[in-house]
Amino acid sequence: MFYSVLTLFVLSFIGFYLGKRKSIKLSQNIKLASLPSYYGYLAMLYILIPTLIAWFVLLVGENFVLEKYLFLILKEFLISMSGSEVQLFFIKIKNLSEGASFGNESDLELLGAQKIIQFKNLFLLLTYLVIFLVTAIALYLVNKKISPTFKSQRHVEKIVNLFIQLCSYIAILITVGIFLSLVFETINFFGYVNPLDFLFGINWNPNKAFVIDSSDVIDKDILKDAFGIIPLMTGTLLVAFLAMLVSIPLGLMSAIYLAEYAPKKIRDISKPVIEILAGIPTVVYGFFAALVVAPKIADLGEYIGLDVSSESALAAGLTMGVMIIPFVSSLSDDVIGAVPQSLRDGSYALGATKSETIIKVILPSALPGIIGSFLLAISRAIGETMIVVMAASLQANLTINPLEPTTTITTQIVTALTGDTEFDNPKTLVAFALGLTLFFATLLLNYFALRTVKKYREQYD
Amino acid sequence: MTNLAKRKKAELRFRFYGIFSVFLSLLFVAILIFNICSSGIGGFYKTIFLTSIHFDQKLLNLEDNASEEQIRNASFRKLIKNNFDESFKDYSKDEIKQIKKLFYRKIDIELKNFLINNPEFLNKTTKVELTASTHIDQIHKGNFDRTVQEKHRKVNNFQLEIYDKFVEDQKVKKVWNSTYFTSGDSRDPESAGVASSVMGSVFTILICFLLSFPIAIFASIYLQEFAKAGKITDLIEININNLAAVPSIIFGLLGLGILLNFFGLPRSTALVGGIVLSFMTLPTIIVACRSSLRAVPPSIREAALALGATKNQVVFHHVLPLAMPGTLTGTIIGLARAIGETAPLLMIGMVAFIMDIPSNPLEPAVGMPAQIYLWSESSERGFIEKTSSAIILLLMFLIVVNFVSVYFRKKYEKKW
Amino acid sequence: MVNAINTKNLNVYYGDQQAIHNISLDFLKNKVTALIGPSGCGKSTFLRCLNRMNDVIDICRVEGNISLNGMDIYSKEIEVEHLREKIGMVFQKPNPFPKSIYDNVAYGPRIHGFTDKKEEMDLIVETSLKKAGLFEEVKDRLEDMGTSLSGGQQQRLCIARAIAIKPEVILMDEPCSALDPIATSIIEELITDLKKSYTIIIVTHSMQQAARVSDKTAFFHLGNLIEEGDTSKIFTKPDHQKTNDYITGRFG
Repeated sequence: MFYSVLTLFVLSFIGFYLGKRKSIKLSQNIKLASLPSYYGYLAMLYILIPTLIAWFVLLVGENFVLEKYLFLILKEFLISMSGSEVQLFFIKIKNLSEGASFGNESDLELLGAQKIIQFKNLFLLLTYLVIFLVTAIALYLVNKKISPTFKSQRHVEKIVNLFIQLCSYIAILITVGIFLSLVFETINFFGYVNPLDFLFGINWNPNKAFVIDSSDVIDKDILKDAFGIIPLMTGTLLVAFLAMLVSIPLGLMSAIYLAEYAPKKIRDISKPVIEILAGIPTVVYGFFAALVVAPKIADLGEYIGLDVSSESALAAGLTMGVMIIPFVSSLSDDVIGAVPQSLRDGSYALGATKSETIIKVILPSALPGIIGSFLLAISRAIGETMIVVMAASLQANLTINPLEPTTTITTQIVTALTGDTEFDNPKTLVAFALGLTLFFATLLLNYFALRTVKKYREQYD
Repeated sequence: MTNLAKRKKAELRFRFYGIFSVFLSLLFVAILIFNICSSGIGGFYKTIFLTSIHFDQKLLNLEDNASEEQIRNASFRKLIKNNFDESFKDYSKDEIKQIKKLFYRKIDIELKNFLINNPEFLNKTTKVELTASTHIDQIHKGNFDRTVQEKHRKVNNFQLEIYDKFVEDQKVKKVWNSTYFTSGDSRDPESAGVASSVMGSVFTILICFLLSFPIAIFASIYLQEFAKAGKITDLIEININNLAAVPSIIFGLLGLGILLNFFGLPRSTALVGGIVLSFMTLPTIIVACRSSLRAVPPSIREAALALGATKNQVVFHHVLPLAMPGTLTGTIIGLARAIGETAPLLMIGMVAFIMDIPSNPLEPAVGMPAQIYLWSESSERGFIEKTSSAIILLLMFLIVVNFVSVYFRKKYEKKW
Repeated sequence: MVNAINTKNLNVYYGDQQAIHNISLDFLKNKVTALIGPSGCGKSTFLRCLNRMNDVIDICRVEGNISLNGMDIYSKEIEVEHLREKIGMVFQKPNPFPKSIYDNVAYGPRIHGFTDKKEEMDLIVETSLKKAGLFEEVKDRLEDMGTSLSGGQQQRLCIARAIAIKPEVILMDEPCSALDPIATSIIEELITDLKKSYTIIIVTHSMQQAARVSDKTAFFHLGNLIEEGDTSKIFTKPDHQKTNDYITGRFG
């Protein structure tokens, strides 16, 4: 399929050349309405756009039609197999058709792989045919259009404008895509588990869902208290809270110091260095949390006489807090900087000290903005994955004790999808339900955060 | 104390809190970097034993002037056994077995490669550097606690004795670990390398860039220069702002649900990874591009229009080129973030054991962050070191990327 | 006639640029002195030296002598916060805090520890607002935001705020330039009233205003003090040609 797309690009370029040449030929005696290149561009676009669309449709359609085709051809063999066996079979023959062979395949599997290869070749042929056909039609149409009075530039520009407008819709498309993919699979999930059990259940024990026998009949009662999200929520909030304990005081005070007190040289060095904390990939933080922070905390706990788990929420929370410091710091810095100098002058002129001015005048007036930045930081903490996956536990635990192990929503999403269970199992589908919850939670937080910051900015405009 | 004196004290305390916070934050950076560097530097070196090997062609079943193909097919096991038995004549069979364990278990492949590269040594004796086992490697680097009880150790007392003897005879050396840079993942820390994950990351980021960069620029141009204020434009802007704040793992779920399940794209490939990351990077580039477009002064647009250019020409010929430096800076920042992302790639399966170096984006691949994640899950000490080394490489790369972007920003920062 | 503030050989630099050239100027107690001159001639810079507001600007360097009641304001014994209790300032653009009217006025007294009894603070706020001629208009809404008042009211609020900490001198930096004529006239009346209790130094762009409210006038030009004296004299028979040119509108 790769070469087919290459072909259509080549054809478009040929179209460009042809269009341009024709327009130059026509311009022997008459002046052209547009530059010759624009006739070339027109031809190119007339070819490129339809063929690209056709190619895309065929690419997507291939998979659908392939499955239907296989079902049709191998019907008599597949009838005797269960749903999961069929899935496995398809995966096997797919891999086989791409060359992954162990040398012990059954005849049926070999046949299946063969059919796949046949089908794909046929489809490829079809694709090329379509491309050439569309190109021919396009060239014919463009040829008729090209004339000295035809305002090709205007047409081309209109097409370009339409295209860039579509590009901007992609943002909406992505959001819609997120929504659809999450909602769709969540609905599937709710087919196995009651939404109320999910939202209000206090037991999280997805391994129960392993007890699914080969007849694909799932006993809903067992699943009743296997997927309760409450312990995940408490875990997520606990870790986020610990992170905020570190990042808010340090981040805010750093921002205040660097904005109001620090001499230029210190500010110029400190700001970028603190920003480094933001640039370090989260997997590095996770590694650090698991290998250095967690053992040290466990040792410290032992020394004091407390029983600290090696997968404590504290380790993950503290490390996450360090990661979020630059976030809080730079947002607060913006907000503090936006307070007009006249307010500071007013306070100093009354004989206030710098700290009094900051605490009593600047911070109160910057408060909405600062709260907004805190909300954004919390949203970041809730959505963080790698640090908790590597440092926190996989065991759900309904607790607010930071010394105990606990798990978070994001950790469970990862565990649900990096296991071996196949897709239709609630154990895997729950990832989407969790994802949807997370999506809404962060969306709400971000909405409120931005609204508070906006209201604050309006104060000064 | 007078009121003013109290207030002055409060002022000093407050100032101190500020300095302390900055200091603490900087300290965290230092601790992080120091820790990673100290544990990771060792990974760029490996311990080898200097041995003397006799390549007896009879034991290898090879003729004179054997071809490379023939050497490749030969079995080196007998040769190794014979050489060991000869060198350690004074030791029992059992002891020789234990001595063998001091070496990397795949030294037969190392000897094979040596002979392929130096066929003139067939039937001769020569010095060969052989990789030590990962345990010896850690001992030699000083990461091993000898005081632990023998039965809890991976290396017993006898083996330690032999090792010490080798050290005395100056037969143990640390050399640059070039295999780390040329090989892919492996079950053994001795031969594990970052090559496959580096290529995986390269392909992923390439795809991400190729997709997000043009689309983001076109979208920005439309929103900034052409779009009329209205509900749809507002909706688009709201969407872009939202997407910038969505946790990265959600994009992974999007990739799983739509790209893998609906479109049936191949799992675990850099192609899908790149597409997922481009969803994430798009809003960042759009924001940067829009602010750069805004910064271009109207005087330039007016001058172009006055010369009879169409709006498209004004935008594409004049405004966009001037907005490029700022856009590129934002792009680099967005890509730097994408390079370090792990969670979304885990969702689409880019977290497998990849031995071979991928040659195109359609092959199964793993990215550097995901490789770091995988290696960190192993309990072998040797892998901990390798993980830290990979982190050093990743951080170095990110630092370079950041410097490039700062350089570009400073160079092209036009003062209108 | 007593001098409230004396300045001697004052030189002010912004980095390498000299903004004020060797100015010696005295200000009489309980009188209103106007500083006039074209834009950028250093009037505001000079004014800000008097309550050491220029300390806030890093690159600003002040040389020379400024004294309040005979005491050098830059001496080590004087705390700048104390100084600003004695010398208050009202700014060009009204800058009330985004707090209630009450809290705006009470802010100064609170941080300087005047009282912690509510009744006494209420009295301070009321008195200050009365002296600033604002009390009647806001007495029923003291909890409203200071920023909800009109421009003229905001400026009077700022004056009340400055008065609340019982200064001896009030510095005003073009206090009416952001206000409409009616608000301006209210404040000018206020100034005439206030000078009974305070020494007032006002920078103004408007010569008419200077003529209306001030007793003494000083004419600045390019960072130099060209001439100073009784207002009536400056505006009718100035000694210097430059002064004459300015007040007759030859440049400005």
